[in-house]
Amino acid sequence: MTKSEYLTEYDGIVKTMQMYIDGSKQGKSELMRPAFHPDASFFGYAGEQLAIGTPFLFDWIDKNGPASKIEPRVVSVDILGSIAVVRLEVAGWSGKLAGSDARMSDLFTLLKMPSGWTIIQKAFHWHA
Amino acid sequence: MRPQLDAAPSGIVFPAGVLGMSVRNTPQKTLESWKQIAGYLDRSERTVRRWEASEGLPVHRREHEKQDTVFAYRHEIEAWSRLRTKCPSEISIDEGESLPAVKSVSNAYLVEHDAITRTMHCYIAGARAGDGDLMRAAFHPSATISGYCQGIEYSGSVEHVFKWVTENGPAPNINPRFARIEIIESIAVVHLEVQHWSGKLAGANARASDVFTLLKWNGEWKITHKLFHWHDQ
Repeated sequence: MTKSEYLTEYDGIVKTMQMYIDGSKQGKSELMRPAFHPDASFFGYAGEQLAIGTPFLFDWIDKNGPASKIEPRVVSVDILGSIAVVRLEVAGWSGKLAGSDARMSDLFTLLKMPSGWTIIQKAFHWHA
Repeated sequence: MRPQLDAAPSGIVFPAGVLGMSVRNTPQKTLESWKQIAGYLDRSERTVRRWEASEGLPVHRREHEKQDTVFAYRHEIEAWSRLRTKCPSEISIDEGESLPAVKSVSNAYLVEHDAITRTMHCYIAGARAGDGDLMRAAFHPSATISGYCQGIEYSGSVEHVFKWVTENGPAPNINPRFARIEIIESIAVVHLEVQHWSGKLAGANARASDVFTLLKWNGEWKITHKLFHWHDQ
């Protein structure tokens, strides 16, 4: 992969991640849904409960409502041909379900589709 | 080779190069009963059964109509005994207090790291043997798979992986390398580079880059997703 090819892929990945961030910030799952693959999965613990499946995520985002002060940091982007891993750290989570000033670590895996980079899985760790 | 368990029943840290070992050993070297596994480790059957339940001793099962039988791969047992680390619960209070704080923190990390590599070795053992059922224990029941192979996208249940591995048959020469293991408390990502894939479906000398996402579930690390990039030759 040449430097410019890498940057093109990197930009495509960050663009997809931005849809997730925008949806989180505004509390609107409709903004992030196009970033996800139809078969995408979602895993992590919400308290003691294991949350599985993107419907849980989208429902949570809508019910949580706006979280205008989230501070997302893209910690790493690793590209391996047609697949990628993004580690996202989000501080300052707020909202009806998130409470205030909460923190979440995310591992996103992405697949490059003909239409662009799509999220195939989000695994999260909620810092209690 | 004798496993290195004789020194202390409560376990000792063995910082081991696992990969070199799995390459040298073939999966045909099996122990075919609890008795044989216990004899190999020089412990009672009760002890090795407990180790399977509480410490991840890699024991596999064959399903039969009446009763399942157990077996174990010698190379997995050896890898386990090398990697076996002292569980935090087994550290006595005196010993715990005498350890510098930094050391116990790094040891906690190593315990998770080793548990993750054990899960990955269950996957690798199944891939090498060409037996999808062997690797089943490494995965969460709701695990999924995604990726492209020869231009076709595969996305769906992990059952596809088990089926593919079994149809592919043995791939004795695979050379897996842990390119990266990153742990964030209850979740982890493993980047595995596998060279020298072979078999009925894989062809000869193929290469795959795999990204596994894992979840610590009921105290064990389980793969929730396998994402692969198959390198065209």
